[in-house]
Amino acid sequence: MMRKDESTEAPERFEYLQSLVTEFQNTDSEEAKEQVLANLANFAYDPKNMEYLRELQVPDLFLDMLTEENENFIEFGMGGLCNLSMDPECRDVILQSGGISLVTNCLSNRREETVLSAITTLMNLATPTTRSQISEPGILQCMLRFSLAESPRLRNLATVFLQDCCSEEQVRQAQQHMQGCQTAVGIPLPKE
Amino acid sequence: MHCTTNMAAPLNNKPDCWRSPEVYKHHEQQKVCISRPKYREGRKAKAVKVYTVNLESRYLMVQGVPAIGVMTELIQLCALYGTVEEYRPLDEYPAEEFTEVYLVKFQRLPSARAAKRNMDEKSFYGGVLHVCYVPEYETVEDTRLKLQDRRSFIARAARNRAKEKEKTDAVQESPASSVKIPARHEETFENKNTRDASGPSHYSEFPPLPLPPQKLKNSYRQKNHSGIVQKEDKMGTLHNAISNIEQQELESFGSKPTASKSDQGPEGRLYLNPISEARFTPRVAHLENRKRKIEESNESAVNVSGENEPFIGPKLPEQPKLDMEDDSLNTTLNLIRSTMKQVGSAPDIRPIQKKAKPRRRI
Repeated sequence: MMRKDESTEAPERFEYLQSLVTEFQNTDSEEAKEQVLANLANFAYDPKNMEYLRELQVPDLFLDMLTEENENFIEFGMGGLCNLSMDPECRDVILQSGGISLVTNCLSNRREETVLSAITTLMNLATPTTRSQISEPGILQCMLRFSLAESPRLRNLATVFLQDCCSEEQVRQAQQHMQGCQTAVGIPLPKE
Repeated sequence: MHCTTNMAAPLNNKPDCWRSPEVYKHHEQQKVCISRPKYREGRKAKAVKVYTVNLESRYLMVQGVPAIGVMTELIQLCALYGTVEEYRPLDEYPAEEFTEVYLVKFQRLPSARAAKRNMDEKSFYGGVLHVCYVPEYETVEDTRLKLQDRRSFIARAARNRAKEKEKTDAVQESPASSVKIPARHEETFENKNTRDASGPSHYSEFPPLPLPPQKLKNSYRQKNHSGIVQKEDKMGTLHNAISNIEQQELESFGSKPTASKSDQGPEGRLYLNPISEARFTPRVAHLENRKRKIEESNESAVNVSGENEPFIGPKLPEQPKLDMEDDSLNTTLNLIRSTMKQVGSAPDIRPIQKKAKPRRRI
Protein backbone atom coordinates (compact mmCIF):
# COMPACT_ATOMS: atom_id res chain seq x y z
CA MET A 1 0.00 0.00 0.00
CA MET A 2 1.17 3.43 -0.81
CA ARG A 3 1.60 5.68 2.15
CA LYS A 4 0.62 9.08 0.98
CA ASP A 5 0.02 11.92 3.28
CA GLU A 6 -3.67 11.38 3.72
CA SER A 7 -4.39 14.77 5.16
CA THR A 8 -3.63 16.42 1.84
CA GLU A 9 -5.15 13.69 -0.23
CA ALA A 10 -8.51 13.33 1.44
CA PRO A 11 -10.31 16.50 0.35
CA GLU A 12 -9.38 15.92 -3.25
CA ARG A 13 -10.63 12.40 -3.04
CA PHE A 14 -13.94 13.55 -1.67
CA GLU A 15 -14.29 16.29 -4.24
CA TYR A 16 -13.51 13.97 -7.08
CA LEU A 17 -16.06 11.45 -5.95
CA GLN A 18 -18.53 14.24 -5.47
CA SER A 19 -18.00 15.46 -8.99
CA LEU A 20 -18.64 11.93 -10.24
CA VAL A 21 -21.90 11.74 -8.34
CA THR A 22 -22.88 15.14 -9.65
CA GLU A 23 -22.14 14.15 -13.20
CA PHE A 24 -24.12 10.98 -12.78
CA GLN A 25 -27.11 12.92 -11.56
CA ASN A 26 -26.95 15.59 -14.19
CA THR A 27 -26.03 13.88 -17.39
CA ASP A 28 -28.65 12.65 -19.81
CA SER A 29 -26.24 10.42 -21.62
CA GLU A 30 -26.72 6.74 -20.88
CA GLU A 31 -23.13 6.07 -21.85
CA ALA A 32 -21.75 8.66 -19.49
CA LYS A 33 -23.96 7.32 -16.72
CA GLU A 34 -22.62 3.83 -17.29
CA GLN A 35 -19.05 5.02 -17.19
CA VAL A 36 -19.50 7.06 -14.06
CA LEU A 37 -21.39 4.26 -12.38
CA ALA A 38 -18.57 1.85 -13.19
CA ASN A 39 -16.07 4.39 -11.85
CA LEU A 40 -17.97 4.74 -8.60
CA ALA A 41 -18.38 0.99 -8.25
CA ASN A 42 -14.65 0.52 -8.74
CA PHE A 43 -13.84 3.25 -6.24
CA ALA A 44 -15.98 1.32 -3.80
CA TYR A 45 -13.33 -1.39 -3.91
CA ASP A 46 -10.81 0.80 -2.09
CA PRO A 47 -11.51 1.08 1.64
CA LYS A 48 -10.12 4.62 1.62
CA ASN A 49 -13.20 5.73 -0.30
CA MET A 50 -15.85 3.98 1.78
CA GLU A 51 -16.48 6.86 4.10
CA TYR A 52 -16.79 9.41 1.34
CA LEU A 53 -19.04 7.22 -0.75
CA ARG A 54 -21.26 6.67 2.23
CA GLU A 55 -21.44 10.36 2.82
CA LEU A 56 -22.33 10.99 -0.80
CA GLN A 57 -25.12 8.43 -0.41
CA VAL A 58 -23.64 6.23 -3.07
CA PRO A 59 -25.01 3.06 -1.41
CA ASP A 60 -28.49 4.35 -2.17
CA LEU A 61 -27.42 5.31 -5.66
CA PHE A 62 -26.29 1.72 -6.27
CA LEU A 63 -29.49 0.32 -4.80
CA ASP A 64 -31.51 2.54 -7.12
CA MET A 65 -29.72 0.99 -10.07
CA LEU A 66 -30.99 -2.48 -9.24
CA THR A 67 -34.47 -1.62 -10.49
CA GLU A 68 -33.28 -0.01 -13.71
CA GLU A 69 -33.98 -1.54 -17.10
CA ASN A 70 -30.49 -1.12 -18.47
CA GLU A 71 -28.64 -4.34 -17.66
CA ASN A 72 -25.33 -2.54 -17.37
CA PHE A 73 -26.76 -0.26 -14.71
CA ILE A 74 -27.86 -3.30 -12.76
CA GLU A 75 -24.55 -5.09 -13.16
CA PHE A 76 -22.46 -2.08 -12.17
CA GLY A 77 -24.76 -1.11 -9.32
CA MET A 78 -24.69 -4.66 -8.01
CA GLY A 79 -20.90 -4.75 -8.37
CA GLY A 80 -20.66 -1.52 -6.42
CA LEU A 81 -22.83 -2.94 -3.66
CA CYS A 82 -20.71 -6.08 -3.61
CA ASN A 83 -17.64 -3.90 -3.01
CA LEU A 84 -19.28 -1.55 -0.51
CA SER A 85 -21.00 -4.21 1.55
CA MET A 86 -17.62 -5.54 2.70
CA ASP A 87 -17.44 -2.52 4.97
CA PRO A 88 -19.51 -2.92 8.15
CA GLU A 89 -20.79 0.65 8.14
CA CYS A 90 -21.76 0.57 4.49
CA ARG A 91 -23.40 -2.77 5.14
CA ASP A 92 -25.60 -1.17 7.78
CA VAL A 93 -26.58 1.61 5.42
CA ILE A 94 -27.52 -0.90 2.74
CA LEU A 95 -29.56 -2.88 5.26
CA GLN A 96 -31.38 0.24 6.41
CA SER A 97 -32.35 1.04 2.84
CA GLY A 98 -34.04 -2.31 2.37
CA GLY A 99 -31.11 -3.78 0.50
CA ILE A 100 -31.84 -7.44 1.14
CA SER A 101 -34.95 -7.71 -1.01
CA LEU A 102 -33.49 -5.56 -3.79
CA VAL A 103 -30.36 -7.69 -3.87
CA THR A 104 -32.35 -10.92 -3.66
CA ASN A 105 -34.20 -9.89 -6.82
CA CYS A 106 -30.86 -9.76 -8.62
CA LEU A 107 -30.41 -13.49 -8.06
CA SER A 108 -32.82 -13.89 -10.98
CA ASN A 109 -30.73 -11.76 -13.29
CA ARG A 110 -29.53 -13.25 -16.54
CA ARG A 111 -25.96 -12.06 -16.22
CA GLU A 112 -23.66 -14.26 -14.25
CA GLU A 113 -21.55 -11.37 -12.99
CA THR A 114 -24.65 -9.70 -11.54
CA VAL A 115 -25.74 -12.91 -9.83
CA LEU A 116 -22.27 -13.47 -8.39
CA SER A 117 -22.19 -9.95 -6.99
CA ALA A 118 -25.63 -10.50 -5.50
CA ILE A 119 -24.59 -13.71 -3.74
CA THR A 120 -21.45 -12.15 -2.30
CA THR A 121 -23.42 -9.09 -1.21
CA LEU A 122 -26.01 -11.23 0.54
CA MET A 123 -23.24 -13.01 2.41
CA ASN A 124 -21.82 -9.64 3.43
CA LEU A 125 -25.23 -8.48 4.59
CA ALA A 126 -25.60 -11.42 6.96
CA THR A 127 -25.48 -10.27 10.58
CA PRO A 128 -26.96 -11.90 13.66
CA THR A 129 -30.12 -9.82 13.18
CA THR A 130 -30.50 -10.31 9.44
CA ARG A 131 -29.46 -13.92 9.23
CA SER A 132 -32.99 -15.27 9.37
CA GLN A 133 -33.97 -13.03 6.47
CA ILE A 134 -30.98 -14.05 4.41
CA SER A 135 -31.43 -17.74 5.05
CA GLU A 136 -35.10 -17.78 4.16
CA PRO A 137 -36.20 -20.90 2.26
CA GLY A 138 -36.58 -19.15 -1.10
CA ILE A 139 -32.99 -17.94 -1.09
CA LEU A 140 -31.66 -21.26 0.17
CA GLN A 141 -33.44 -23.16 -2.57
CA CYS A 142 -31.99 -20.76 -5.06
CA MET A 143 -28.51 -21.36 -3.67
CA LEU A 144 -29.08 -25.10 -3.82
CA ARG A 145 -29.85 -24.79 -7.52
CA PHE A 146 -26.82 -22.57 -8.05
CA SER A 147 -24.64 -25.08 -6.23
CA LEU A 148 -25.45 -27.55 -9.00
CA ALA A 149 -24.74 -25.05 -11.75
CA GLU A 150 -22.22 -25.76 -14.45
CA SER A 151 -20.37 -22.51 -13.97
CA PRO A 152 -17.70 -23.22 -11.36
CA ARG A 153 -17.74 -19.69 -9.98
CA LEU A 154 -21.47 -19.78 -9.38
CA ARG A 155 -21.27 -23.28 -7.97
CA ASN A 156 -18.46 -22.38 -5.59
CA LEU A 157 -20.01 -19.20 -4.35
CA ALA A 158 -23.39 -20.80 -3.74
CA THR A 159 -21.69 -23.64 -1.90
CA VAL A 160 -19.87 -21.19 0.34
CA PHE A 161 -23.17 -19.46 1.02
CA LEU A 162 -24.87 -22.72 1.99
CA GLN A 163 -22.01 -23.71 4.24
CA ASP A 164 -21.45 -20.36 5.93
CA CYS A 165 -24.72 -18.46 6.03
CA CYS A 166 -27.16 -21.06 7.29
CA SER A 167 -27.37 -24.22 9.33
CA GLU A 168 -27.25 -27.71 7.91
CA GLU A 169 -30.75 -28.19 9.22
CA GLN A 170 -31.98 -25.24 7.19
CA VAL A 171 -30.34 -26.66 4.08
CA ARG A 172 -31.98 -30.02 4.68
CA GLN A 173 -35.36 -28.40 5.02
CA ALA A 174 -34.84 -26.38 1.85
CA GLN A 175 -33.85 -29.55 0.03
CA GLN A 176 -37.02 -31.27 1.17
CA HIS A 177 -39.07 -28.32 0.04
CA MET A 178 -37.41 -28.44 -3.33
CA GLN A 179 -38.90 -31.86 -3.94
CA GLY A 180 -42.30 -30.28 -3.61
CA CYS A 181 -42.95 -26.66 -4.31
CA GLN A 182 -40.15 -24.51 -5.67
CA THR A 183 -39.67 -20.81 -5.57
CA ALA A 184 -38.77 -18.74 -8.57
CA VAL A 185 -35.88 -16.97 -6.91
CA GLY A 186 -32.73 -17.32 -8.95
CA ILE A 187 -34.36 -18.46 -12.15
CA PRO A 188 -33.27 -16.02 -14.80
CA LEU A 189 -35.97 -13.82 -16.20
CA PRO A 190 -36.94 -14.60 -19.79
CA LYS A 191 -35.46 -12.44 -22.50
CA GLU A 192 -38.12 -10.08 -23.67
CA MET B 1 -30.11 -26.84 -12.98
CA HIS B 2 -31.82 -25.36 -15.98
CA CYS B 3 -31.54 -22.02 -14.34
CA THR B 4 -27.98 -21.49 -15.43
CA THR B 5 -28.18 -22.49 -19.03
CA ASN B 6 -28.12 -18.88 -20.11
CA MET B 7 -24.96 -18.15 -18.28
CA ALA B 8 -21.46 -18.86 -19.39
CA ALA B 9 -21.69 -22.59 -19.29
CA PRO B 10 -18.79 -24.92 -19.64
CA LEU B 11 -19.44 -28.16 -21.42
CA ASN B 12 -17.58 -30.58 -19.24
CA ASN B 13 -18.29 -31.19 -15.65
CA LYS B 14 -15.27 -32.89 -14.22
CA PRO B 15 -14.93 -32.09 -10.58
CA ASP B 16 -11.24 -31.35 -10.19
CA CYS B 17 -9.82 -27.90 -10.61
CA TRP B 18 -7.44 -28.94 -13.36
CA ARG B 19 -10.14 -30.08 -15.73
CA SER B 20 -9.92 -29.00 -19.32
CA PRO B 21 -10.52 -25.31 -19.62
CA GLU B 22 -13.47 -23.31 -20.82
CA VAL B 23 -13.41 -19.94 -22.45
CA TYR B 24 -15.30 -17.43 -20.33
CA LYS B 25 -16.31 -13.94 -21.11
CA HIS B 26 -14.11 -12.47 -18.41
CA HIS B 27 -11.03 -13.88 -20.13
CA GLU B 28 -11.57 -11.65 -23.09
CA GLN B 29 -9.94 -8.35 -23.31
CA GLN B 30 -12.76 -5.86 -23.49
CA LYS B 31 -12.67 -2.86 -25.71
CA VAL B 32 -11.17 0.12 -24.01
CA CYS B 33 -13.45 3.04 -23.55
CA ILE B 34 -12.47 6.09 -25.58
CA SER B 35 -15.35 8.40 -24.83
CA ARG B 36 -14.43 9.42 -21.31
CA PRO B 37 -14.13 13.09 -20.53
CA LYS B 38 -10.69 14.15 -19.46
CA TYR B 39 -11.31 14.30 -15.75
CA ARG B 40 -12.36 10.69 -15.67
CA GLU B 41 -9.48 9.41 -17.73
CA GLY B 42 -7.09 7.20 -15.88
CA ARG B 43 -3.43 6.66 -16.55
CA LYS B 44 -4.23 3.66 -18.69
CA ALA B 45 -7.01 3.20 -21.20
CA LYS B 46 -9.49 0.78 -19.70
CA ALA B 47 -12.77 -0.84 -20.52
CA VAL B 48 -15.97 0.06 -18.72
CA LYS B 49 -16.05 -2.73 -16.21
CA VAL B 50 -16.58 -3.17 -12.51
CA TYR B 51 -14.09 -5.14 -10.48
CA THR B 52 -15.28 -7.09 -7.51
CA VAL B 53 -13.75 -9.70 -5.30
CA ASN B 54 -15.54 -12.30 -7.41
CA LEU B 55 -13.43 -11.47 -10.43
CA GLU B 56 -10.17 -11.66 -8.55
CA SER B 57 -8.28 -14.81 -7.93
CA ARG B 58 -4.88 -16.17 -7.06
CA TYR B 59 -5.21 -18.18 -10.28
CA LEU B 60 -4.01 -16.36 -13.36
CA MET B 61 -4.18 -17.30 -16.97
CA VAL B 62 -1.38 -16.02 -19.18
CA GLN B 63 -2.16 -15.93 -22.87
CA GLY B 64 0.04 -14.99 -25.78
CA VAL B 65 3.22 -16.69 -24.56
CA PRO B 66 5.38 -17.36 -27.63
CA ALA B 67 5.62 -21.11 -28.23
CA ILE B 68 9.41 -21.17 -28.19
CA GLY B 69 9.97 -23.02 -24.96
CA VAL B 70 10.03 -20.11 -22.54
CA MET B 71 7.91 -21.62 -19.78
CA THR B 72 10.74 -21.40 -17.26
CA GLU B 73 11.33 -17.78 -18.11
CA LEU B 74 7.62 -17.06 -17.76
CA ILE B 75 7.44 -18.65 -14.35
CA GLN B 76 10.58 -16.84 -13.26
CA LEU B 77 8.94 -13.62 -14.31
CA CYS B 78 5.80 -14.52 -12.35
CA ALA B 79 7.88 -15.39 -9.30
CA LEU B 80 9.05 -11.79 -9.14
CA TYR B 81 5.62 -10.95 -7.78
CA GLY B 82 5.21 -13.72 -5.24
CA THR B 83 5.42 -17.42 -4.63
CA VAL B 84 4.05 -19.52 -7.45
CA GLU B 85 2.39 -22.59 -6.03
CA GLU B 86 1.54 -24.42 -9.22
CA TYR B 87 1.61 -23.86 -12.91
CA ARG B 88 0.92 -25.71 -16.10
CA PRO B 89 0.35 -25.08 -19.77
CA LEU B 90 -3.29 -25.08 -20.80
CA ASP B 91 -2.81 -27.04 -23.97
CA GLU B 92 -6.51 -27.47 -24.55
CA TYR B 93 -7.27 -23.78 -24.29
CA PRO B 94 -7.75 -22.15 -27.69
CA ALA B 95 -4.61 -20.14 -28.35
CA GLU B 96 -3.44 -17.96 -31.17
CA GLU B 97 -1.03 -19.54 -33.59
CA PHE B 98 2.49 -20.02 -32.26
CA THR B 99 1.50 -19.02 -28.76
CA GLU B 100 0.76 -20.94 -25.60
CA VAL B 101 -1.55 -20.39 -22.66
CA TYR B 102 -0.47 -21.01 -19.08
CA LEU B 103 -2.27 -21.36 -15.80
CA VAL B 104 -0.38 -19.97 -12.82
CA LYS B 105 -1.51 -20.41 -9.24
CA PHE B 106 0.03 -17.99 -6.77
CA GLN B 107 0.18 -18.66 -3.09
CA ARG B 108 -1.48 -15.36 -2.27
CA LEU B 109 -3.92 -13.16 -4.08
CA PRO B 110 -1.92 -9.92 -3.76
CA SER B 111 0.92 -11.59 -5.66
CA ALA B 112 -1.44 -12.52 -8.45
CA ARG B 113 -2.75 -8.98 -8.46
CA ALA B 114 0.74 -7.54 -8.77
CA ALA B 115 1.67 -10.03 -11.45
CA LYS B 116 -1.42 -9.20 -13.45
CA ARG B 117 -0.88 -5.49 -13.16
CA ASN B 118 2.74 -5.68 -14.22
CA MET B 119 2.64 -8.39 -16.84
CA ASP B 120 -0.61 -7.76 -18.69
CA GLU B 121 -0.06 -6.27 -22.12
CA LYS B 122 3.69 -6.37 -21.70
CA SER B 123 5.87 -7.83 -24.37
CA PHE B 124 7.58 -11.09 -23.60
CA TYR B 125 10.00 -12.75 -26.00
CA GLY B 126 8.39 -11.06 -28.94
CA GLY B 127 4.79 -11.72 -27.93
CA VAL B 128 2.38 -9.57 -25.99
CA LEU B 129 1.03 -11.22 -22.86
CA HIS B 130 -2.60 -11.10 -21.89
CA VAL B 131 -3.00 -11.89 -18.22
CA CYS B 132 -6.37 -12.38 -16.54
CA TYR B 133 -7.76 -13.80 -13.34
CA VAL B 134 -9.37 -17.22 -13.69
CA PRO B 135 -11.49 -17.63 -10.56
CA GLU B 136 -13.25 -20.62 -12.12
CA TYR B 137 -10.19 -22.67 -11.18
CA GLU B 138 -10.74 -21.96 -7.51
CA THR B 139 -11.95 -24.63 -5.17
CA VAL B 140 -14.80 -23.89 -2.77
CA GLU B 141 -12.20 -23.41 -0.06
CA ASP B 142 -10.22 -20.98 -2.23
CA THR B 143 -13.35 -18.94 -2.78
CA ARG B 144 -14.21 -18.93 0.90
CA LEU B 145 -10.74 -17.84 1.95
CA LYS B 146 -10.67 -15.15 -0.71
CA LEU B 147 -13.90 -13.67 0.64
CA GLN B 148 -12.78 -13.96 4.24
CA ASP B 149 -9.46 -12.28 3.48
CA ARG B 150 -11.19 -9.47 1.72
CA ARG B 151 -13.66 -8.94 4.55
CA SER B 152 -11.01 -8.88 7.21
CA PHE B 153 -8.88 -6.54 5.13
CA ILE B 154 -11.76 -4.08 4.86
CA ALA B 155 -12.61 -4.48 8.53
CA ARG B 156 -9.02 -3.74 9.45
CA ALA B 157 -9.05 -0.66 7.28
CA ALA B 158 -12.26 0.47 8.96
CA ARG B 159 -10.75 -0.05 12.40
CA ASN B 160 -7.68 1.93 11.45
CA ARG B 161 -9.87 4.73 10.22
CA ALA B 162 -11.75 4.71 13.50
CA LYS B 163 -8.51 4.79 15.44
CA GLU B 164 -7.24 7.70 13.43
CA LYS B 165 -10.53 9.42 13.98
CA GLU B 166 -10.11 9.15 17.72
CA LYS B 167 -6.64 10.53 17.48
CA THR B 168 -7.70 13.47 15.38
CA ASP B 169 -10.63 14.12 17.65
CA ALA B 170 -8.24 14.51 20.52
CA VAL B 171 -6.15 16.92 18.53
CA GLN B 172 -9.18 18.80 17.36
CA GLU B 173 -10.32 19.64 20.87
CA SER B 174 -8.81 23.05 20.41
CA PRO B 175 -11.59 25.56 21.00
CA ALA B 176 -11.79 27.60 17.82
CA SER B 177 -12.46 24.84 15.40
CA SER B 178 -14.81 22.87 17.53
CA VAL B 179 -17.18 25.79 17.69
CA LYS B 180 -17.12 26.40 14.02
CA ILE B 181 -17.60 23.00 12.62
CA PRO B 182 -20.86 21.76 13.97
CA ALA B 183 -22.61 24.60 12.23
CA ARG B 184 -21.03 23.69 8.97
CA HIS B 185 -21.86 20.15 9.59
CA GLU B 186 -25.53 20.85 9.89
CA GLU B 187 -25.74 23.06 6.92
CA THR B 188 -24.44 20.36 4.74
CA PHE B 189 -27.37 18.07 4.54
CA GLU B 190 -29.85 20.81 3.98
CA ASN B 191 -27.77 22.26 1.24
CA LYS B 192 -27.03 19.00 -0.33
CA ASN B 193 -29.78 18.94 -2.89
CA THR B 194 -29.60 22.49 -3.96
CA ARG B 195 -25.89 22.27 -4.13
CA ASP B 196 -25.92 19.23 -6.30
CA ALA B 197 -28.30 20.90 -8.65
CA SER B 198 -26.40 24.12 -8.83
CA GLY B 199 -22.94 22.70 -8.81
CA PRO B 200 -22.47 21.77 -12.42
CA SER B 201 -24.46 24.64 -13.77
CA HIS B 202 -22.20 27.10 -12.16
CA TYR B 203 -19.28 25.45 -13.81
CA SER B 204 -20.96 25.61 -17.15
CA GLU B 205 -21.72 29.25 -16.70
CA PHE B 206 -18.07 29.97 -17.11
CA PRO B 207 -17.21 31.03 -20.60
CA PRO B 208 -15.74 28.06 -22.38
CA LEU B 209 -12.39 29.60 -23.15
CA PRO B 210 -10.39 32.65 -22.26
CA LEU B 211 -10.45 35.56 -24.59
CA PRO B 212 -7.74 35.41 -27.16
CA PRO B 213 -4.53 37.13 -26.26
CA GLN B 214 -4.51 40.78 -27.05
CA LYS B 215 -1.40 42.23 -28.45
CA LEU B 216 -0.71 44.83 -25.87
CA LYS B 217 -1.59 42.80 -22.84
CA ASN B 218 0.04 39.68 -24.03
CA SER B 219 3.04 39.75 -21.79
CA TYR B 220 0.92 40.56 -18.80
CA ARG B 221 -1.31 37.66 -19.46
CA GLN B 222 1.48 35.25 -19.79
CA LYS B 223 3.08 36.39 -16.62
CA ASN B 224 -0.09 36.01 -14.71
CA HIS B 225 -0.68 32.62 -16.12
CA SER B 226 2.74 31.26 -15.48
CA GLY B 227 2.66 32.70 -12.02
CA ILE B 228 -0.26 30.49 -11.23
CA VAL B 229 1.28 27.49 -12.80
CA GLN B 230 4.38 27.86 -10.76
CA LYS B 231 2.54 27.99 -7.53
CA GLU B 232 0.55 24.96 -8.41
CA ASP B 233 3.66 23.05 -9.22
CA LYS B 234 5.23 23.74 -5.91
CA MET B 235 2.18 22.66 -4.01
CA GLY B 236 1.21 19.73 -6.15
CA THR B 237 -0.90 19.86 -9.21
CA LEU B 238 -4.25 19.98 -7.53
CA HIS B 239 -3.65 22.94 -5.34
CA ASN B 240 -5.26 26.14 -6.28
CA ALA B 241 -3.01 29.04 -6.41
CA ILE B 242 -4.02 32.11 -4.63
CA SER B 243 -6.21 32.49 -1.67
CA ASN B 244 -7.66 35.87 -2.43
CA ILE B 245 -9.17 34.52 -5.60
CA GLU B 246 -10.91 31.94 -3.60
CA GLN B 247 -12.38 34.56 -1.42
CA GLN B 248 -13.49 36.50 -4.37
CA GLU B 249 -15.23 33.43 -5.57
CA LEU B 250 -16.97 32.85 -2.32
CA GLU B 251 -18.41 36.29 -2.49
CA SER B 252 -19.40 36.12 -6.07
CA PHE B 253 -21.25 32.88 -5.68
CA GLY B 254 -23.10 33.97 -2.64
CA SER B 255 -23.11 30.39 -1.48
CA LYS B 256 -20.66 28.83 0.88
CA PRO B 257 -18.74 26.15 -0.86
CA THR B 258 -16.81 25.41 2.26
CA ALA B 259 -20.01 24.64 4.01
CA SER B 260 -21.13 22.22 1.39
CA LYS B 261 -17.75 20.71 1.45
CA SER B 262 -18.69 17.92 3.65
CA ASP B 263 -20.35 16.42 6.45
CA GLN B 264 -17.49 14.21 7.05
CA GLY B 265 -17.68 13.85 10.70
CA PRO B 266 -14.78 14.49 12.92
CA GLU B 267 -12.25 12.66 10.87
CA GLY B 268 -12.88 14.46 7.67
CA ARG B 269 -12.83 17.61 9.67
CA LEU B 270 -9.21 17.36 10.41
CA TYR B 271 -8.33 16.64 6.86
CA LEU B 272 -10.42 19.39 5.51
CA ASN B 273 -10.15 22.16 7.96
CA PRO B 274 -6.72 23.53 7.51
CA ILE B 275 -7.03 23.64 3.76
CA SER B 276 -10.68 23.88 3.00
CA GLU B 277 -10.52 27.61 2.82
CA ALA B 278 -7.78 27.44 0.30
CA ARG B 279 -9.37 24.98 -2.06
CA PHE B 280 -12.75 23.59 -2.18
CA THR B 281 -13.68 23.23 -5.78
CA PRO B 282 -13.10 19.94 -7.56
CA ARG B 283 -10.45 19.61 -10.17
CA VAL B 284 -12.67 20.39 -13.15
CA ALA B 285 -13.67 23.58 -11.51
CA HIS B 286 -10.04 24.42 -10.89
CA LEU B 287 -9.39 24.31 -14.57
CA GLU B 288 -12.44 26.42 -15.21
CA ASN B 289 -11.34 28.82 -12.55
CA ARG B 290 -8.00 29.23 -14.11
CA LYS B 291 -9.65 30.08 -17.39
CA ARG B 292 -11.88 32.48 -15.64
CA LYS B 293 -9.01 34.15 -13.90
CA ILE B 294 -7.28 34.70 -17.17
CA GLU B 295 -10.50 35.96 -18.56
CA GLU B 296 -11.00 38.31 -15.69
CA SER B 297 -7.56 39.73 -16.02
CA ASN B 298 -8.30 40.31 -19.65
CA GLU B 299 -11.55 41.98 -18.89
CA SER B 300 -10.06 44.28 -16.39
CA ALA B 301 -7.49 45.14 -18.99
CA VAL B 302 -10.21 45.85 -21.48
CA ASN B 303 -11.96 48.12 -19.05
CA VAL B 304 -9.87 51.13 -19.61
CA SER B 305 -12.05 52.86 -17.13
CA GLY B 306 -9.52 51.64 -14.62
CA GLU B 307 -11.87 50.51 -11.92
CA ASN B 308 -10.18 48.99 -8.97
CA GLU B 309 -11.20 45.42 -9.56
CA PRO B 310 -9.23 43.04 -7.45
CA PHE B 311 -7.01 40.88 -9.53
CA ILE B 312 -3.90 38.90 -9.18
CA GLY B 313 -0.41 39.34 -10.33
CA PRO B 314 1.60 42.38 -11.16
CA LYS B 315 0.02 45.05 -13.28
CA LEU B 316 1.73 46.31 -16.35
CA PRO B 317 1.83 50.01 -16.70
CA GLU B 318 -1.34 51.05 -18.38
CA GLN B 319 -1.36 52.07 -21.93
CA PRO B 320 -0.95 55.83 -22.04
CA LYS B 321 -4.27 57.46 -22.70
CA LEU B 322 -4.69 60.10 -25.21
CA ASP B 323 -6.10 63.14 -23.50
CA MET B 324 -8.41 65.24 -25.64
CA GLU B 325 -8.58 67.83 -22.88
CA ASP B 326 -12.33 67.71 -22.93
CA ASP B 327 -14.61 65.45 -20.86
CA SER B 328 -17.07 64.81 -23.61
CA LEU B 329 -14.40 64.01 -26.14
CA ASN B 330 -12.59 61.74 -23.68
CA THR B 331 -15.76 59.81 -22.95
CA THR B 332 -16.36 59.31 -26.62
CA LEU B 333 -12.79 58.21 -27.07
CA ASN B 334 -13.09 55.64 -24.30
CA LEU B 335 -16.27 54.32 -25.80
CA ILE B 336 -14.69 53.95 -29.21
CA ARG B 337 -11.61 52.38 -27.73
CA SER B 338 -13.50 49.72 -25.80
CA THR B 339 -15.79 49.01 -28.73
CA MET B 340 -12.76 48.52 -30.96
CA LYS B 341 -11.29 46.15 -28.46
CA GLN B 342 -14.43 44.12 -28.24
CA VAL B 343 -14.82 43.99 -31.98
CA GLY B 344 -11.19 43.16 -32.42
CA SER B 345 -11.30 40.30 -29.99
CA ALA B 346 -14.57 38.71 -30.98
CA PRO B 347 -13.69 36.98 -34.25
CA ASP B 348 -10.63 35.36 -32.72
CA ILE B 349 -12.60 33.34 -30.24
CA ARG B 350 -13.80 30.76 -32.63
CA PRO B 351 -10.58 29.63 -34.27
CA ILE B 352 -8.99 29.14 -30.89
CA GLN B 353 -11.89 27.13 -29.66
CA LYS B 354 -11.59 24.87 -32.63
CA LYS B 355 -7.92 24.34 -32.04
CA ALA B 356 -8.28 23.72 -28.38
CA LYS B 357 -11.03 21.16 -28.51
CA PRO B 358 -9.25 18.28 -30.21
CA ARG B 359 -6.26 18.84 -27.98
CA ARG B 360 -8.28 18.30 -24.86
CA ARG B 361 -9.49 14.97 -26.09
CA ILE B 362 -6.16 13.45 -26.86
